[in-house]
Formats: sequence, structure tokens, C-alpha cells
Amino acid sequence: MKSKKILIIIPAYNEEDNILNTYNGIIEFNKKNKTNYDAIVINDCSTDNTKKILEDNNIPHIDLIHNLGIGGAVQTGYKYAYKHDYDIAIQYDGDGQHDVLYVEKLIKPILDGKADMTIGSRFIDKDLDGFKSSAARRIGIKTISAFIKFASGKKIYDTTSGFRAANKNIIHDFSLSYPIEYPEPITNAEVLKKGYRVSEVPVVMKERGGGISSIRAWKNVYYMLNVCLVLISIKMRRYKKCN
Amino acid sequence: MQLKLTLTLIIFSLVLIFFISLLLNKGRIPVKYALIWYLSILVILILSFFPGVFAFFAKLFGFQLVSNMVIMLLIGILFILVIVLNIMVAGQKKKTTLLIQEISILEYERRNDK
Repeated sequence: MKSKKILIIIPAYNEEDNILNTYNGIIEFNKKNKTNYDAIVINDCSTDNTKKILEDNNIPHIDLIHNLGIGGAVQTGYKYAYKHDYDIAIQYDGDGQHDVLYVEKLIKPILDGKADMTIGSRFIDKDLDGFKSSAARRIGIKTISAFIKFASGKKIYDTTSGFRAANKNIIHDFSLSYPIEYPEPITNAEVLKKGYRVSEVPVVMKERGGGISSIRAWKNVYYMLNVCLVLISIKMRRYKKCN
Repeated sequence: MQLKLTLTLIIFSLVLIFFISLLLNKGRIPVKYALIWYLSILVILILSFFPGVFAFFAKLFGFQLVSNMVIMLLIGILFILVIVLNIMVAGQKKKTTLLIQEISILEYERRNDK
């Protein structure tokens, strides 16, 4: 069997503290396990030294010529993946929250043909410890989860997880359209509604290595209202079903 | 009272027509949008020449004062224009995002080929 082309997309905005460790982690994993994951950093016009670190260390990276925000940055990765004929694309945070050890588990259902998209979930396996975010945010995630159930008829537990893997069909869909704001919960609902198979894989996430999470800056209530509104409109919308 | 309102509206319309013609002459707005404004002004002008029409509709829709209805009408027109602009801005944003992404990917590929 021809080995699958796998791309790890790492969006980064002002991640000078973490980006080198994140990238090196993947390269070391490749060496140790004889895996062949490609990785590309999408530098969303960082204002700190991220760009210099990327250049000095020869890390493959796309420099966005203007800041687009997380959605636009991740979509750039999916566009690149589609253009270069990757079989699987993995979204992977540049801040050290995600662990490359779980990539294999994450892509297994896709390689086995059992899922079209997988989500690295903090909430599936209750026995796994690790970073599960604050109580307030967990309530928020539960609410969004309920709205996704309402919009698509299916349940997803970790609705805001940015650790996801997608097969070719979904890479294509995402390269064509990807929401600029609140991308994860919205695309989860849309993918489900199109009839794709989504499965959640239990993973452990770490707390951020350094820097400030963009999530902390979100105005949470406003964020929730927006997401719920979009999810309601997804419920109303019709989508072309995948085969 | 009625005459004063008519006069005010006519002056208001003339100022708007002048302003939009100026923008149009300098090429600052496309004809397409100037036309929308001209048409809205035309509606106001016609109505101000026939105050009876105003009074009739004001009564019909339950406005206590004719002037209230005029204001309501203007707000309505502005509302539609703002929504149209909103849609246009969203469309523009989509296009710039696409441009930024495609140029950035091309730039990366160019760098890699060297």
C-alpha cells in the first residue's frame, strides 16, 4: 500500500515561546517512530519574533501577508494540503497544548476508513487526566455541544477542540469554505450535517507552554451567543449531502 | 406648517443631489450606487410636492405627525442602504481573505523552489 501523505498544520500567532518546541517535537517523533508527518507552520503575521525563529531554524512556514485570524490561517493550511494532494491534514496548535503522541491515534480511524474526520477530545475518556480547561468554559462547551446536537442531530463532546484530523474530502470542503470566526464548533456541525462520519478520539492536552491564549481574550458570553446563533442558522440551512 | 416641511424637504433633497453629483463627477462613487441615492431623493421630492399624499399615508399608518412619517421613511431608506453595504463589506472581506491566502501560499512555493 502506498503510504499516505500526512500534513500537520500549525497555525501560529505570536508563538515565539512555543513554536520551536512544537515543531521539534514532531520532527523528533518522526525520527523515533519512522513516521513521515510533514509539518507546516502558518504564521498569521505575528508581531513578535515568531517569523525570525521560523526562518533561523528552517521550519517550513507560510507567512500570511496580512493577519487573518485563526480561521483564515487554518484554512490556508487546508488549501495548501489540497493543492499538494495530502491524504490527511491535522490541525495542531502552535502553543504546545497538543501532543504529537496522539496524532497516530487521531488518524487511525481515518486510515481504517471508519471516519472522515476525527476530533481530539478531552472529555471522552474520564480516566485520562490532563488539562480540561476551567469550569466556566466546560459549561460553555456543554452548551455548544447541545446546540450542535440540535443543529446536526449528533453529539460531539469536545466542541472547541483545535486538534482535528481530516481526510481528503473534508480537506477539499474546508479549502473551499471555512468560517473566519468560531471555526471549530461551526465546522463540526456543518461536517456532521453534510453526512460525514466524525469520531472523537480521547486525548490528553497540556496547559499552554507560554504566551497568552487567544481564548482568554474572547468575550465569552458574546462568543457563546454568536456560536449558538450560527448553529441555529445551520439547523435551518440545507447542505448537499456527501455520498 | 405643511408648506414649511415641503420647503425643508426640497432644500434637503437639493443639497443631497448636489453632494452626490459632486462625488459622481469626481469618480468617487460608481453610477450604480449614485442611482440608488438619486431614486431615493426622487421619492422624497415627489412626496414633498404633494403633501396630501404624506398626510394620507401618515393617517393610514397611524403616525400622529406627518414629520414623524418622513423621519421614519428616511430611517427606512438608510436601514436598507446599511444592510446592502454590510453585505458588500462581507463579500469584499471574503475576496481579500482569498487573495491573502493564495498570495501567501504562492510566496511559500516560490521560496521553496529556489
